Amino acid sequence: MTPEQIILVQSSFERLGPGLPAMATRFYQELFARDPALRSLFTTPLAEQEVKFAVKLTEIVQAIPHLDELLSHTRALGARHVGYGVRAADYQTLGNALLAALAAVLGDSFDTPTREAWVLAYNLVAETMLEGAAAVRPVGS
Amino acid sequence: MLAGVAMALLRWPIVGRRSELEVFERTLTSDGYAGLVIHGRPGVGKTRLADECRNQAAASGHPTERVVGSRTTALLPLGAVAALLADGLGRSGLDGQDHAPALFEQTRRALHQRHCGRRLVIVADDVSLLDDVSLALLGYLAVQGTIFLIATVRTGEPVPDLLTDLWRDGRLERVDLHDLSRAHLDTLLHLALGGPIEAGAGQEFWEVTRGNPLYVHELVLGALELGALVERSGVWHLEDRLTATSRLLDLVEQRIGGLSAEARSMVELLALCEPLEVGYLETAAPPGVLESLERTGLITIAIADGQVRLAHPLHARVVRAAMPKLRVRAILLAQADRLEAANPLPGPAALRIALWRLDAGGRPDPAILVRGAHLARYADDFRVVRRLIEAVPGEQLDSTGTLLLGEALYELGVSDAAERVLALGRGLPSSEHVALRLAVTRAKNAQWGLCQPEAALAINAAARAVVTSGPLVEELAADEASVWTFSGRPDQALAVLERLGGSDRRTRVVRAIAGVIALATGGRTAEAVDLARAGYADHIALGAELAIAHPAMHVVNEVFALTEAGRLAEAEQLARAGAETVASQRVPIAQIFFAANLGRVAILQGRVSTARRYYAEAAGLAEANHFVGPRRVALSGLALAHAMLGELDAATRALEERASMPAFGFLAPQQQLADAWTAIASKRPTEAAERFRAAAVQAASTGHLTAESWLLHDLMRTSGQDVSARLRDLAGVCDSPLVSVRARHAVAARARNARELAAVAGDFEALGAMLLAAEAASSAAEAFTRDGDRRAATVALRRSTELAASCEGAMTPGLFHAAAAVPLSGREREIAMLAAAGLASKDIAERLYLSVRTVNNHLQHAYTKLGVTSRAGLAQALGSA
Repeated sequence: MTPEQIILVQSSFERLGPGLPAMATRFYQELFARDPALRSLFTTPLAEQEVKFAVKLTEIVQAIPHLDELLSHTRALGARHVGYGVRAADYQTLGNALLAALAAVLGDSFDTPTREAWVLAYNLVAETMLEGAAAVRPVGS
Repeated sequence: MLAGVAMALLRWPIVGRRSELEVFERTLTSDGYAGLVIHGRPGVGKTRLADECRNQAAASGHPTERVVGSRTTALLPLGAVAALLADGLGRSGLDGQDHAPALFEQTRRALHQRHCGRRLVIVADDVSLLDDVSLALLGYLAVQGTIFLIATVRTGEPVPDLLTDLWRDGRLERVDLHDLSRAHLDTLLHLALGGPIEAGAGQEFWEVTRGNPLYVHELVLGALELGALVERSGVWHLEDRLTATSRLLDLVEQRIGGLSAEARSMVELLALCEPLEVGYLETAAPPGVLESLERTGLITIAIADGQVRLAHPLHARVVRAAMPKLRVRAILLAQADRLEAANPLPGPAALRIALWRLDAGGRPDPAILVRGAHLARYADDFRVVRRLIEAVPGEQLDSTGTLLLGEALYELGVSDAAERVLALGRGLPSSEHVALRLAVTRAKNAQWGLCQPEAALAINAAARAVVTSGPLVEELAADEASVWTFSGRPDQALAVLERLGGSDRRTRVVRAIAGVIALATGGRTAEAVDLARAGYADHIALGAELAIAHPAMHVVNEVFALTEAGRLAEAEQLARAGAETVASQRVPIAQIFFAANLGRVAILQGRVSTARRYYAEAAGLAEANHFVGPRRVALSGLALAHAMLGELDAATRALEERASMPAFGFLAPQQQLADAWTAIASKRPTEAAERFRAAAVQAASTGHLTAESWLLHDLMRTSGQDVSARLRDLAGVCDSPLVSVRARHAVAARARNARELAAVAGDFEALGAMLLAAEAASSAAEAFTRDGDRRAATVALRRSTELAASCEGAMTPGLFHAAAAVPLSGREREIAMLAAAGLASKDIAERLYLSVRTVNNHLQHAYTKLGVTSRAGLAQALGSA
């Protein structure tokens, strides 16, 4: 990512402000619309899940400028998601759902540069979550 | 950060390959699969992926082994798999085939025993190069379930029949690897370097590697080793072009090594001179050569214009680097002759002809060099301009040549050399036009490069002796105005501009560059916005010209004018769009000013952390591109943002860095916000107030009216001093709502008018100035409390807290009492803050010229009002803990 893109991600996220819970709700709607099977991976009540998601996303967005800090979040998060049965292909779906939710809540201000910045940020997060996942998953045992 | 790099070099990240790793995981754990084949082009990361699979298998307890095919082992039966064989086996002779079934079965049993029945995971790299017996053995073991085979196959190499058969039987899974996408390349660089990369550098990696992971790896290592890739303020910059490592040279050589002599010379020709027309190449090469190159993917032919290029940009660089000098010279000279014969001068081919002749080590005709330099100038390629003109022998350099070279040196940040060349040009015979442009460029270099505005004015004045025709005199005057504007005298600039006509388009462009900032800072923001737009339109109509700023500077100016007009959201949007455009076009000065203006807008919006990031970016870019003056402006902004965040050490560091540089008058009063706010952050309110006052006086005497309003308003915010009279005067002469709301704020604060303060908070909020809105709402709460209207006070306080929440951690005195929500007097607040910062009463008394008893009295009142009993409690209540 470029420094400008990091700023774009953080400032558009800040712009969400009180719209964050709405974005979280929208995220799960978009996610399950894309892949209804994913619903079964979630055992916690959805409302609670949305709050967790919003909190984690806030932490991650704040950590983006500091890679070490970001990695400590994403690797642990990825490792935890192995237990939920999340796979690499699902990360693509998750990313698309996130972009759609951001676009819906941010409206016109989610312009092309902002979107591209989020694509890169998500890619960085997803790759390092998957790395964290790979580190804990036993293979062929 | 450096530790991060060391890590990256130890363990290069694997990116964009997780789905493939999951395929491996799935096949290894499913019944029925004997292995996995990884297909892909050279450098795509087959071996890396295979090894990563192997690591994962090892991590979960599988024994693993690795065999590598090579041209040598291919000649030797079982040569590649010797390590697998049970002791004493396979030594019976080179014709192991005769005893194969027995040997295979013995090996299977030996392996089974050696690994206690666990399946051995074997990577067979470049499996096409294994000898048939080794292959057959691996196939046998895989089918028996003794081993799990991970084979890599290069695209284009024959796939061994054995693998094809296994695959057809569904015993083998296949993955096809491709080059990385732009996003994955970006993530790879981010992880490998441990931080963000500047936009231009990321683009360069993409253009050269096209996402080929091996090329990325080699180029990153090479650039780090040579110091071309450097980290500054947490961001990676590319200081030099990417160069290939010797390993990379070998790899590309392998790719083109097997070509016929004719095909190879075609590749060499393209590497030096691409793009070339397909029509010409068809006559230059024997029939069939181009087709075969296209079929093997080494060249591409654009359908639109019939231009032929090498398919991979890196191939061109590597081939060029590997060619003998004499051959390079022969090809370049022949092509230059051909092009010159077909394209008489002057024409667009001059640039290529000039560069080819130079690259060939020849002495091209100066006319061609100058013509080529003009063409390079139109493309803003100042490096090439410099190179071409520096090749002109000194005695043949005319005034136009010195103008081109001087401008290029200035743009490249080599200010001393630029001054020498431009001064030299002044002594050469020249037209009035060229004399004017020499003077203008030299003045610009004196002002921006050497930070000597007086010298710039002297150069401008001296030029009047040789520049006498009407429009040129006007342009010279417009340029004088520009010197005044950018050396901190907008009042003088406006005085000069008012005497100007403005019939000539070029003059109008220069006038716009000087006038927009002068008008905006003089409070005539509507005129300023219009002038910026007209200037941009004129500039585009004018086209590319020598000795004039980049058109993007009009957009920078419009951003400034919109900001002064209080149209913050519009300013932000325009600046972001502009920043993106100039980043892709690599116009550093505009990049710096867009970032600095984004920082400025963010300060006014109260988005203080965002401001800090933008200013840091601007300062880094200015440093990288040797722009001293703009760097000062950016460092001032950076210190300001740090100070408003309460980051005293960082603010002080930024100011110290700034102090090491020569003075720069542009926006001088505004630069002093940094010093005053740093004094606030270090709990020296008296000093801060003095600094605000002094800067405001300077602003008033130089025509910086909007800046004066900003400074006085900040003085009021931080000290409670009454500045309402002057702010009202300023509101009377400035057309900016930001200036008038500041004035109303001061009037309301003076009158302690609660309702009006609440209304002011609303007006600031409508402008997008959230921090100012939060502070005004906080004062409103204070006033409501004093008036006994508790309900209104609670509402205002809640509003203030909500607004402050969007201010990204700003720590301003106005917010401190928002947190406290108790009407401390100015003196009480000042003393409470000092006490909270850990000063003893005696020290506070000394600092404020008070008695210790008075200090303690004030402190006691503050304790009571805040409901605390200790200094620690005080700090917490004031929000500064």
